[in-house]
Amino acid sequence: MKLKICGMKYQDNIEQVAALQPDYLGFIFYEDTPRHFDTKIPNISEHIKKVGVFVNEEISTVIEKVNEFNLDAVQLHGEESPYYCSILRSTKLFSNDTPIEIIKVFSIKDKFNFDILEAYENVCDFYLFDTKGKLPGGNGYRFDWSLLNNYPSSKPFFLSGGIGIDQVEDIKNFKASQASKYCYALDVNSKFEKEPGLKNTSVLREFINKLNNKKTMNYNVDDRGYYGEFGGAFIPEMLYPNVEELRQNYLKVMAEPDFQKEFDQLLKDYVGRPSPLYFAKRLSEKYNAKIYLKREDLNHTGAHKINNTIGQILMAKRLGKSRIIAETGAGQHGVATATVCALMGLECIVYMGEIDIARQAPNVARMKMLGATVVPALSGSRTLKDATNEAIRDWINNPVNTHYIIGSAIGPHPYPDMVTRFQAVISEEIKWQLKAHEGRENPDYVVACIGGGSNAAGTYYHYLHEPEVGIIAVEAAGLGVDSGESAATSVLGKEGIIHGCKTLLMQTNDGQITEPYSISAGLDYPGVGPMHAHLSKTGRAEFLSITDSDAMEAGLELSKLEGIIPAIETSHALAIFGQRTFKPDDVIVVSLSGRGDKDLQNYIDYFKI
Amino acid sequence: MNRIQSKLQEDKKLLSIYFTAGYPNINDTVTIIENLEKNGVDMIEIGLPFSDPLADGPTIQDSSTAALKNGMTTEVLFNQLKDIRKTVNIPLIIMGYFNPMFQYGVEAFCKKCQDFGIDGLIIPDLPVDVYHEEYQAIFEKYGLINVFLITPQTSDERIRYIDSISNGFIYMVSSASTTGAQSGFGEEQTAYFERIANMNLKNQQIIGFGISNNETFTQATKYSKGAIIGSAFVKHVTKQGINTIDNFVNVILN
Ligand SMILES: Cc1ncc(COP(=O)(O)O)c(C=O)c1O
Repeated sequence: MKLKICGMKYQDNIEQVAALQPDYLGFIFYEDTPRHFDTKIPNISEHIKKVGVFVNEEISTVIEKVNEFNLDAVQLHGEESPYYCSILRSTKLFSNDTPIEIIKVFSIKDKFNFDILEAYENVCDFYLFDTKGKLPGGNGYRFDWSLLNNYPSSKPFFLSGGIGIDQVEDIKNFKASQASKYCYALDVNSKFEKEPGLKNTSVLREFINKLNNKKTMNYNVDDRGYYGEFGGAFIPEMLYPNVEELRQNYLKVMAEPDFQKEFDQLLKDYVGRPSPLYFAKRLSEKYNAKIYLKREDLNHTGAHKINNTIGQILMAKRLGKSRIIAETGAGQHGVATATVCALMGLECIVYMGEIDIARQAPNVARMKMLGATVVPALSGSRTLKDATNEAIRDWINNPVNTHYIIGSAIGPHPYPDMVTRFQAVISEEIKWQLKAHEGRENPDYVVACIGGGSNAAGTYYHYLHEPEVGIIAVEAAGLGVDSGESAATSVLGKEGIIHGCKTLLMQTNDGQITEPYSISAGLDYPGVGPMHAHLSKTGRAEFLSITDSDAMEAGLELSKLEGIIPAIETSHALAIFGQRTFKPDDVIVVSLSGRGDKDLQNYIDYFKI
Repeated sequence: MNRIQSKLQEDKKLLSIYFTAGYPNINDTVTIIENLEKNGVDMIEIGLPFSDPLADGPTIQDSSTAALKNGMTTEVLFNQLKDIRKTVNIPLIIMGYFNPMFQYGVEAFCKKCQDFGIDGLIIPDLPVDVYHEEYQAIFEKYGLINVFLITPQTSDERIRYIDSISNGFIYMVSSASTTGAQSGFGEEQTAYFERIANMNLKNQQIIGFGISNNETFTQATKYSKGAIIGSAFVKHVTKQGINTIDNFVNVILN
């Protein structure tokens, strides 16, 4: 069966939907609808037929539109007569001298008298059966398809009216029934929209895949360690035994009941999970949407980072390692690692860029109090990227007794997947917490800031394959995406290799990794986890970038409106409400990844408090 | 036959020297190569500098940073090497990290190498499997030998696998370390050298990392076909410039 997607309106959206290669795209020229088409059709594949939809329109106007927009078909939704149709069948009327397809619509309620078709048998190419309702089309519900058992004709028809992703099974049953014998195409519209005229491409993709029994797009890692084309393990041979040992064991160890029990127990008693899902009432009022905050800031040590370090320290112990190394940018991951090392009595060495040591002094002191050795990374730009290099070099030099606790969803496979799985507790909790608040597990959007992408990966994890949940990823624009001082990797990055994985990466034309900039030390990374590169490339996630100043203002705003001082990383995620609008009944869950204590000095300096 | 393969057939222990292209000065590349050959070095690794050299210690990191500051790029290096085969006969290998080659285009990169007479590549962060699945055909099309590393932690099984897809020599990393890390070889290393020597691999081995003087060169080549010196040479040109390369090489070989 062919597919027609109707009610297209916006140029970008038309291009995105065309990329899904439907057979027909419909443009509604009837003016009394929010889906009224009044712009230009961008260049799309010539294999996609463009259909103009009209309701009792003057014939001359129809002809004009066919010529102007190069339409391949017209769909007649009113009481157009057989004579009307027959005129439009004349090739002579159109500038390119080719016939257009005529689709005549009939609306069906509970009953339908098929006798009316007879007069149209010779003057149109297809019928389209839609649900009769208040509007001429787009009413959003189905008619009883079994009525088509009495279809007397052999003319191919389009099936329309309220078809959505929930009806994939019904469609398959219909396809298997006699009633579908002459069904030529499905026509979809309102059930695949974010708002009238704006189609949701990820739900459409899912629908198409499901109809074709195709395995749906996989956003998880595959068995080779890739997310689509991103990921892998581009490591020097010196690291191969360590990484391979981890790769062979991580899933096995994580599946052990003992491991799970210990992990869950520590998350509960030591970290303080579950972290609350808080309905931010005043923030919601201000931005006219339902905003929930997932309070990772209330975890022990003040951020989501500890979910991962608890998991990895247990992993390290199972693998018999006695020495722990880590890199840190803002110091949050360093503190979380030093904390779990103290908890387990293991030696801890944290690499931290010399510049970050200066700008995150309180966290350096914390790590030292917790018994860790903080080693300044003096090479390169002396920030997070270089701290990561130093940690990797340490691991090369200490391959046997050492485990490297990477702090984000980055690095060679299996790190991105392992870190994601440890952080997935975030979305696991959101599901049942939101159910209690809203009566449903799935919000309309999940939102998180992205440095390497660990809090984001955890926030998205259980929603990756729920197409109705929009995913919003927020990167740091620094002084502005085009300013040369930015960390917006999805915009500025090209495919490349950093720290053992193929991903989007900020680099020169010559392949040298460049220095990102953000006011927040935790978002200041030139790459992005491979899962996020894949989410960006496939369009599954919407990527936004937020400047330093917008983030700082959003941090101050949350403090004043809700009494919560967020980490500057988190402030980036909060700043999207100033940049993007939501519908009043949209339920949006924002990962409040960390608290602002560590950033107090930055806030003081910025706002001259 | 590729120059690397012919060189490996000579009846002698081989001395290979690594240097960072564009260091100490941007235009030293050709002079360094010519001087090394003139003083009896058997093979040269030309380091294509990278911003984030994960497998390297401070000496090569610093020289790489300086070379990039001097303006070294892939294109500049190829321009410098354009006429290198008019004056130099020994095997030349480019050693660098994968990302710059990936950005240049792996095939375009390999073609330039062939055009200018480069014989092989060492790319520490290009994994054996990825090479085998995606790039081996391209390397072979342009007559390039790819050299793989093994370390004391590499399992026998994996060494045999690496041996099976190598067609030059195997780069034996002397110990678990980044470049330039240690001085002198202990019992652990000699046991490892012996273990590998006894595996009767198809490809001969050349030992690198931690070789800095006549003593370590002699120790290493007792068990292998040759040895590679990197950080010690880079340190030498840092201190003494490029006019006393003869001294450096003579001390190693005598
Ligand atoms: C509070 C907070 N949020 C977010 C991040 C960014 O890291 P990721 O993208 O891995 O969540 C950091 C990193 O330090 C952080 O401290």
